[in-house]
Amino acid sequence: MKEIFLTLVVGLAVAGSGCSNIERSRDLANPNVPAAVTAAQVCSNCHGVDGNSVSPNFPRLAAQQSAYIVAQLENFRGQHRADPAGFEYMWGLSHHLTDAQIKGLADYFSRQAAQPNAPVDAKLVAAGKVIYENGLPAKEAPPCIACHGPKAEGLANFPRLANQHQDYLIKQLQVFQRTDERPNTPMTQIAHLLSTEEMKAVTGYLQSLPIDK
Amino acid sequence: MEMPRSLLRKVPLVFGVLGTAATMFPVDSQALPLFARQTGQNCVACHAGGQFPELTPYGRAFKLTGYTIGDRVKVPLSVMAYGSYTKVSDTSKSDNPAGDFAKNSSPVIGGGSVFAGGKITDNIGAFIQWTYDNYAAQDPNNGAWHGHSAMDNVDIRYADRFINPTRDFIFGVSLNNNPSVSDVWNTSAAWMQYVPGAGVPANQFNDAATPYPGNSSGSNVAGIAAYMYLNKLLYAELGTYRTANGIFSPLSMGLNNAGTTKLQGNNNPYWRLAVTHEWGPHNIMVGTSGNIAHLYDDPTITSDPNSVYKILSTGLDAQYQYILDPHTITAQLAYMRQKTNYSANTVAGNAGLGSPFGFVAADGSLLADPNSSDTTNTFRAKLSYVFQAKYGGSLAYFNLTGTTNTANQTSGYDPATGLITSDPTGALGATALSTRVNGNLSGNPATRGFTYEAFWMPVQYARIGVQYTAYSKYNGASDNYDGMGRNASDNNTLFFYVWGAY
Repeated sequence: MKEIFLTLVVGLAVAGSGCSNIERSRDLANPNVPAAVTAAQVCSNCHGVDGNSVSPNFPRLAAQQSAYIVAQLENFRGQHRADPAGFEYMWGLSHHLTDAQIKGLADYFSRQAAQPNAPVDAKLVAAGKVIYENGLPAKEAPPCIACHGPKAEGLANFPRLANQHQDYLIKQLQVFQRTDERPNTPMTQIAHLLSTEEMKAVTGYLQSLPIDK
Repeated sequence: MEMPRSLLRKVPLVFGVLGTAATMFPVDSQALPLFARQTGQNCVACHAGGQFPELTPYGRAFKLTGYTIGDRVKVPLSVMAYGSYTKVSDTSKSDNPAGDFAKNSSPVIGGGSVFAGGKITDNIGAFIQWTYDNYAAQDPNNGAWHGHSAMDNVDIRYADRFINPTRDFIFGVSLNNNPSVSDVWNTSAAWMQYVPGAGVPANQFNDAATPYPGNSSGSNVAGIAAYMYLNKLLYAELGTYRTANGIFSPLSMGLNNAGTTKLQGNNNPYWRLAVTHEWGPHNIMVGTSGNIAHLYDDPTITSDPNSVYKILSTGLDAQYQYILDPHTITAQLAYMRQKTNYSANTVAGNAGLGSPFGFVAADGSLLADPNSSDTTNTFRAKLSYVFQAKYGGSLAYFNLTGTTNTANQTSGYDPATGLITSDPTGALGATALSTRVNGNLSGNPATRGFTYEAFWMPVQYARIGVQYTAYSKYNGASDNYDGMGRNASDNNTLFFYVWGAY
């Protein structure tokens, strides 16, 4: 009986391996799988095939700075980024990615066009815009615009924030503020200066930003 | 719900069980069950709020793409086990409490499963569950319990996915042993039950007859189903089932001939259609499914076409999930209608006999002949909430209604004595027609009630939970359903469990 079962399983396995499927592989330990394949077959499940994730549990990656994606994937692979969203989902997935695959994934998502995100309450957006552009002078919090750019498009290692999910941004600000799970970033210091209300406002502004062509 | 004193007395023992379980499953950040080892991800990636078996949208994608995401695991095995404590509300209204309610209010090691499978190739993967039940059978002579292990859920599949920004098409083929075990929503018949569910002494009510919507082919048959999921919008599946013998016998491994479901031929179709949508942290599914099963009256005699009965199951179901850390909310609805057409032999054999068990009406006249067909309707709704993938609870409502049939009447008036039969004193001896507890005086299957659950997951692969199932109707009546004084609420069941996996 066992033999029959093994025959069945092995038969299926042979049938499957007979037709190599590198163009549509979900194997994360095979260095030959092209980054675009991994992006479409694996990353897309949460981040969207065009990088515009639907669920705010998962950050949008469309038009993200390539250098920033590379840095984060390396942090996940090396287990240096330990926030729950990072280790629960990304440590394992990135474990065997090669440098070339990481670079390829970063290029793939940075090339995708960002889509508008869900609208946010106008009052909150207005308050957030002020914080984004001017910082909080009373608390000596620098303006976000200084590093993340006038359209929140980011630059190299400074991530794009425009159209990012508000909930994701708040949770990351709280990671910076309350934990050492994402070390070695100026955001640790800056996030300490923000109240919950201020976080909501500035992230609401970022989620609601129009698409800049 | 007040915690009974007897339970409090058992607390040290229960924690002993927990301690044993903890030793069996050492806490280690790498110690994750099979699929988690394959993807390197936490349980919450695939299981909503960590509450298996319910899947997240990503978990559904993982299953639909054939369990092939990730790295192939060197030792593709995983285990789970649970210990439990079960207390049925009233054990006194029984002719044989020790037999009817064995292990009542006693902590037991209920059993466990070994899982095998995961990624096999780029396109092929498997989910194979082999389950051991520590209390599978009881020796009628000395009362000793015997464990038994058998094949549980099997789903071996080939899948491919064609995806680009304008189209997402997943298709695959599943070889499995239970219609709907291939499904990815937890309102499908194979996946809606509480896991774990109460064992002895309550499985006669709580697990077996709670009730759940179900297809009728059983979980030890062999089927091939083809499926496709288009643009995360439309899911369709079509399969057919047969007896799991010959080359398919591994799918019913562990069961003897009499215990293996025997389907007539290969024409026992299963179908599934679902529409899905995701927006923000929400996702919803509305679907329908069905199964036609042609079954033999006696699994050991498959030569007589007149001994085949047919069950048509048709269901509607819907599931809504809200998943945004730290909250997970799930609402589920399932309705299933089952129409059974009894075999020609059964119908012919029952003609003119009244009750097949020999009961008579209260005035001594013959009961009506059994029906040539029956219909049941099972409705189930469940709402659950999990906080931080650690603390959770749920509330479920179930309502089974159906046609009244004298063949369902398992207690009734004895033609000799004119009394509702039971045998508390042994006076009737071998002529006793029925026993209490599971007796059905009305011939109607109606069963209705609620299940409440609260659980805690101290770590992602251990869970401690308590369930309480309260019946307002059982075997067709709220009060005196067996004709000898047992009420539906006497079957209310408290179930406490400690579960672990590695």
